[in-house]
Amino acid sequence: MTTIATPRAPEDPGAPPAGSAAPERTAPQRPRRSRLAAGRRRTALLWALLLAGPNIALLLVFVYRPLVESLYLSTLQWNLGSPTARFVGLGNYVEWFTAPTTGRVVTTTLVFTVATVGGAMVLGLGLALLLNRRLRGRGVARTVAFAPYVLGGFAVGILWLFMFDPRYGLIQEVLGWVGIASPEWYTNRPWPLVMVIVVYLWKNLGYVALIYLAGLQAVPQDLKDAAAIDGASAARTLRSVVLPLLTPTTFFLLVTMLLSSLQSFDTIKAMTQGGPLGSTTTLMYSIYVESFVNGRAGYASAVATVLFLVLLAVTAVQLRFVQQKVHYA
Amino acid sequence: MSHSPARRAARRPRAAVVTALAALTALTAAGCAGPSVGATGGSDEASAEAVDWSQVEPAQEITWWSNHPGASQEVEQQLIDDFKAETGISVKLVTAGADYDEVAQRFQAASQTDDLPDLVIASDVWWFRYHLNDQIMPVDDVMEFLDADAADFQPALYSDYEYDGRHWAVPYARSTPLFYYNKDLWEAAGLPDRGPETWAELEEWDASLKKEVPEKGSTFGLSTGPSWGAWWFENMIWGQGGAYSDGFELTLDTPEAVAGGQFVHDLFHESGVATLSADDAMADFSSGLIASTIGSTGSLKGALDAAKFEVGTAYLPDGPQGGGTPTGGTGLAIPSSKTPEEQLAAAMFLEFLTNTENTATFSQSTGYMPVRTSAVESDTMKATYEETPQFRTAVDQLADKARTQDDVRVFVPGADALLNDALEQIIIEGADPATAFEAVTPRIETAYTENVEPYLDAQD
Repeated sequence: MTTIATPRAPEDPGAPPAGSAAPERTAPQRPRRSRLAAGRRRTALLWALLLAGPNIALLLVFVYRPLVESLYLSTLQWNLGSPTARFVGLGNYVEWFTAPTTGRVVTTTLVFTVATVGGAMVLGLGLALLLNRRLRGRGVARTVAFAPYVLGGFAVGILWLFMFDPRYGLIQEVLGWVGIASPEWYTNRPWPLVMVIVVYLWKNLGYVALIYLAGLQAVPQDLKDAAAIDGASAARTLRSVVLPLLTPTTFFLLVTMLLSSLQSFDTIKAMTQGGPLGSTTTLMYSIYVESFVNGRAGYASAVATVLFLVLLAVTAVQLRFVQQKVHYA
Repeated sequence: MSHSPARRAARRPRAAVVTALAALTALTAAGCAGPSVGATGGSDEASAEAVDWSQVEPAQEITWWSNHPGASQEVEQQLIDDFKAETGISVKLVTAGADYDEVAQRFQAASQTDDLPDLVIASDVWWFRYHLNDQIMPVDDVMEFLDADAADFQPALYSDYEYDGRHWAVPYARSTPLFYYNKDLWEAAGLPDRGPETWAELEEWDASLKKEVPEKGSTFGLSTGPSWGAWWFENMIWGQGGAYSDGFELTLDTPEAVAGGQFVHDLFHESGVATLSADDAMADFSSGLIASTIGSTGSLKGALDAAKFEVGTAYLPDGPQGGGTPTGGTGLAIPSSKTPEEQLAAAMFLEFLTNTENTATFSQSTGYMPVRTSAVESDTMKATYEETPQFRTAVDQLADKARTQDDVRVFVPGADALLNDALEQIIIEGADPATAFEAVTPRIETAYTENVEPYLDAQD
């Protein structure tokens, strides 16, 4: 490993570039130093393996192995639970891209994702701005706003389902006070999708607000003071000072919210099971249906791969283009 | 492209780690235990060698996956305790899902892992899929060894699990759909104290019943959903002379089948006799919102307890071409991959659960039908029928009107859910029945050619 540059010793400040004169002076020292450096490197590598190894092993076993295995399964026609399967190449992918239901699933996924991510970002920022002010009971309000995020998605779904019940639920009761007839939340399009979006928003709003709140508190007060001295209105300060400084937060939230929204499952499973008539079946949920209801595990793996590629593309686009707009203070 | 069948030998058990989480992330979705690629079928490997049960010592502890049909967790636990007292064998009762489908999905996902129960719920639309996948064993030999008197099972219920001359499950919580009616509203409307004999009669009665129901209510209400909608609809499609299928041949495009679809369409969208319940029609019935509904036998006890009025039960009404009732509910099956010791213990418990006395106990506390002929005539059931005659309707209906379900619904994986999709299109969206049936037909055909046909060939 002689190609690796040895650290220069302090007593050797004017060491010439490698290959130049005075080899007779450095030559006897080199092997000793290299051995020392190599030893250090070995120790460092050992430590790195020791410390990172368990994590890497877990990732390999629980993330990358299933990923590769799922890619393999996507080339099979396999009845879930069956000991045997048949190789079909790209047949499952061809089927997905030509299936009559695919368009609907993609549209539903798009509506759900845009509504939940967009809604949570806008409302979350508003909530954070509110909670950032010096109000009485602010601590309690922050806790209350964040609480839904730590609840289990399935339990949240079941509870909201009771409230949405168009015959006996709390929401039809409240709507009744103002003379509005309750929509058929469970059965008539587009209400089931609206219902699921509302619940998902409610559950994740606190998370967005909390992260934004942390971002807001990192905005230097002197910048805001300076803007005030220059006569900027509150709205102008928000637009020209606060929001640009929040872009790292916004970027982080956009990435995490998009990923979690595209992968959301529990709320839909608890509330609508993807129905009625597939109107709440997102890409993620269709993987479950194909795999566990229809037993078509190979086809489901193909859909999973499509979703994986979508997530990969979304993340890559964000890192490549959106991040350029991020203003790091 | 063909692969060597020898690779099947390389099949190895894998940990259950991925399966439960499979649906939760894109990365792990469907990434569970792998199959071997090559020739399909080969269900003989699991059942080929006959076990000499007399040489087997039953295991002392077994596990049972149930969804406690008909809110039966307490009575199931009581039966487990009685079994322990009698035999010393412990049975661990696991709530493996909220309904038949959830238990089945968990069972499918756990296949080829060690996380399998010794006894599992196997509903009408799922047991055949277990069998196709070699996941369950035939019960004939072991039940004979245990002197379980299979001839005493109600023939219509036991024969449901017969395929290739063997039985793959034992009837447990068996039901038929029933016509439930609100006797108080019936009386107020001046109607005779019985269910309508035909659907046409119910339509005639609609005018007088409508005056008695609450503002948002209706004469008749139904709910849809997987393992449900396509079940009760069999009565209506049969009533018009149609069927889902003839054997495995889909018959959804026949005029009779379309007439069945048109009938349910008109029930909701023309005559307006029926309304769709948001979630559970039994809840709307018990609260008095709808005057009548179709519910499972297994909902009977719950309805009797919940309703503040007198509940009437009747046969499902006939259509112009007759009708009949499908049987349904669930049986219990024994996984093929367990050891003979575990299988024997499971069979002993299965025999115990379904013996004359215990099937009567279970029936009494849920409303499901006793699965043994001797139990129907037992003193326990006679006393029950005396006190609450509603319990009797299902048993009589079974004898008078039961008809074997159409093969496609119960034998083709996912077909039940697809048929329910078509029904929801008709009922919720008012779709044209022929179009709705046409939309699901190719998907059911794919399910058959992919998931049934190759395995049938392999078994022949």
